[in-house]
Amino acid sequence: MSTTPMSTPMSTPSTQATDAARQQPTRPDKPLIVAKNVNKHFGKFHVIKDVSTQFYQGEVTVIIGASGSGKSTFLRMLNRLETHDQGHIIIDGIELNDNLKNIDAVRREVGMVFQSFNLFPHLTVMDNITLAPRRLRNMTRPQAEEVALDLLKKVGLVEQARKYPHQISGGQAQRVAIARALAMQPKVMLFDEPTSALDPEMIKEVLDVMKDLARSGMTMIVVTHEMGFARDVADRVIFFEKGQILAEAPPEQFFSDCGNERIRNFLGQIVNQA
Amino acid sequence: MIPQSMFPPSWSREKRTAITIAVAMFTMVLFLFLLATILSYMPEPIGPAAKQFAEGAMVTVKLTIYAGLAGIVLGVLASMGELSSFLPLRWISKFYIWVFRGTPLLVQVMFAYSLVWNDKSVLTEMQAALVALALNVGAYNAVAISGGIMAINKGQTEAARSLGLSRLQTFADVIFPQAMRIALPPLVNNIVSLLKDTSLAYVIGVVELANIANQIKSSSFQPTPVFITIGVIYLVLTTIMTQISSAIERQLDVERHK
Repeated sequence: MSTTPMSTPMSTPSTQATDAARQQPTRPDKPLIVAKNVNKHFGKFHVIKDVSTQFYQGEVTVIIGASGSGKSTFLRMLNRLETHDQGHIIIDGIELNDNLKNIDAVRREVGMVFQSFNLFPHLTVMDNITLAPRRLRNMTRPQAEEVALDLLKKVGLVEQARKYPHQISGGQAQRVAIARALAMQPKVMLFDEPTSALDPEMIKEVLDVMKDLARSGMTMIVVTHEMGFARDVADRVIFFEKGQILAEAPPEQFFSDCGNERIRNFLGQIVNQA
Repeated sequence: MIPQSMFPPSWSREKRTAITIAVAMFTMVLFLFLLATILSYMPEPIGPAAKQFAEGAMVTVKLTIYAGLAGIVLGVLASMGELSSFLPLRWISKFYIWVFRGTPLLVQVMFAYSLVWNDKSVLTEMQAALVALALNVGAYNAVAISGGIMAINKGQTEAARSLGLSRLQTFADVIFPQAMRIALPPLVNNIVSLLKDTSLAYVIGVVELANIANQIKSSSFQPTPVFITIGVIYLVLTTIMTQISSAIERQLDVERHK
């Protein structure tokens, strides 16, 4: 865990806590996702600088940081929506590289939820959810719809099944997007600022769905500014700054023990905004 | 256009569209079928030549349908080629679009007919006209469809790919249907233009509507009523086509019509 060379005063004394976390019975020894010395450049701009970390089965990780810190880029690398120039990313034993078969295999196991939902506007809610299982899991339409209805029940949107994305609210759309990703029965779910494009009154309904998902044992990696969610649900908080992991710790410790001035400032700003 | 208020309110949009298309198609067939009879009641010089006008109209419609369908296929292929990551394919598509948009259709029609092998024309008049018309409208369709594809938000591809769909599946299930919706108005425009452009087949001797008009004009020495007649026939045909297309447009446009 503390492989980050840039360990801060905050994460150094946290060895105890991380050791405690390691002994949690829910955490198997083998991590589901391993990132090792990952680097990426956008032209001359060094976005991701030698990042190493692991994500374990059933673990909920929240990634926070200022915009431009590389947190979204890092998340998007985990299913190769962005490529990395150097280093290794290994998902459930499969290394992400230019091998297209590996990429497709990984993407089937990794669900992704976007800030702007990215529902398919020409398909109904039901068809949005059933498309991938029908194409990739060899399900017939009735089989896929049964699964989809089950998921829609979980996110509380059964009545919207036959509607088109433009006919539902933003919060509902994001819940459909979560159901769509879950329909592939992924091993891990990535969330890229899932509530940032939502009106305040809709944020809660999406966060509630995500909390349920976390309680069900899903492995989740969430880039967000929702500190309440991080506090309540996360097993671990990662703070990104200028393309590096500046600190990682369990939330209780992260939010109480802000030894690092940069993190204190960041958290202060977030609180002031809210 | 059939006004929406004519339909029972309980009918779904799909049903209304289907009915509109069926009615328009039926009108088209009926019009072509009854054209000779209607025209036969007209005074000289139209009445006696009614059958010829009707046959010419049939040829015009046939040219439009065949070249139009081939042109859509060509347009889809060329637009895919144009946006392909495989460089030679991109060159071929761009070259094709460049040539057929950059030269007059009249020249293309005459060129297709001028192709000679062993002192014999390679293509018949009808074939030459079809090939030239299809290739021409295909090039314009390609531009319309590429525009549609490029208008689709990058997030759509990302969402589809992150679900594990392959590039081909992403294109077929997610990008293409949305692109066609955007490209439909210009595509329809192209097909309506095509119907009018079939008149250029006249120069290589295809006996379509404009050719008939010229023949009747020469034999009767009364050009004005002859050209008014074919003008009206073209108008009826283009109007019916616009009806069919706007019905399809309404069907595809999920976002505006709830």
